[in-house]
Amino acid sequence: MESQYKSSGNGGMEVGERERGVAVANKRNMRGCDVVLRFFALALTLTAAVVLGVDKETKTVPVTLVPTLPPVNVPLTSKWHYLSAFVFLVVANAIACGYAAISLLLTLANMNGKKGITMIIIFFDLVMVALLFSGVGAAAAIGIMGYQGNSHVRWNKVCNVFDKFCAQAAAAVAISGIAAAAFLLLVLLATFNLHKRH
Amino acid sequence: MASAETPAVPEAEAEAVVESTPPPPTEVEPPPETKTAGDSPSIDYLGLGEVVLRFLLFASAVVAVVVIVTSEQTKNSRPAKFNYSPALIYFVAAVSVLGLYSIITTLFSFYALILKPGFFPQVLSHFIIVDVLLLGIVSAATGSAGAIAYTGLKGNSHLGWGKVCAVYGKFCRYVGASVAVSLFASVVLAFLVLLSVYSLSKKIPK
Repeated sequence: MESQYKSSGNGGMEVGERERGVAVANKRNMRGCDVVLRFFALALTLTAAVVLGVDKETKTVPVTLVPTLPPVNVPLTSKWHYLSAFVFLVVANAIACGYAAISLLLTLANMNGKKGITMIIIFFDLVMVALLFSGVGAAAAIGIMGYQGNSHVRWNKVCNVFDKFCAQAAAAVAISGIAAAAFLLLVLLATFNLHKRH
Repeated sequence: MASAETPAVPEAEAEAVVESTPPPPTEVEPPPETKTAGDSPSIDYLGLGEVVLRFLLFASAVVAVVVIVTSEQTKNSRPAKFNYSPALIYFVAAVSVLGLYSIITTLFSFYALILKPGFFPQVLSHFIIVDVLLLGIVSAATGSAGAIAYTGLKGNSHLGWGKVCAVYGKFCRYVGASVAVSLFASVVLAFLVLLSVYSLSKKIPK
């Protein structure tokens, strides 16, 4: 009977410890995923802001002022800050980049999982999701307008002339979109964490 | 038998047995269904807030869609409609999806509030995933329509895009109002997600 008590006692203690070990490992995995995603978002938003912030193109376009004279070569410049939607995207990416850095440090410091800080981080993650997605939508709408033009309101398409400018802007919008998806995954991960705790 | 043997060994084993089986919880909070069954004054504020916010979301989505669909204006035999711009078409589609989703979830959370014994607990906690996805989609739609409306208002001299709103006043006003209402809807959706996360973090283990 003593041996029976001994084996059950040791077995029970081992199972309990193993469960606790799995729970801690799960929490560490989730925390690790969180840190990796935040670093990823930091890198992506920085890249998108830089790529769009150095977007500039100058093209000499032959313009016929008068039909009798030969066409005059006029240098036309296109910079990113001529379009307010691109300005909005650069600013949104800069804000998201700064927030990703701060929240990365906060998450690393918050290893024991205080609930107040976690809720604040989730709130600001949501704000960043909305901000980045709206920036992507705005820049994409203006970009499509530049590519296709709109005959009803007499807005000409610009991207047939400034093709490198438009391609770089499209790349920046795509990178920013992936960064927005990363912030979305962060919010989902945080809610999954809370759900798993129960 | 234990008293006849050395007391140290069975005591240690008893301790081990006691440690391995988790102690029964001394203070067990009663599950909400039995607590609120006979206790009518206790209002489930979180559930009520969720129903109110979801209905507000539905109302603002419907208002935004109706306002932008009725925003047609014709000047000098040249009409201006929302379906002349792909950004505005995406805006109408996204806000319509939001309206449809929000009426369904309003009904679900209303039933969950009325039929108290946690009727659809799993489904309600899965709504938060679609909520966050829709927040992204509706924010993108608001941004697109807002950018187009702003460019129509201010024009763009560098690209040779004229100010359209000087000509089509009513169209621009309606589109602007619709964008403002959908911005309000995005804020409400963000608060809804926060409320869901908060109530998820407070949930009693089932």
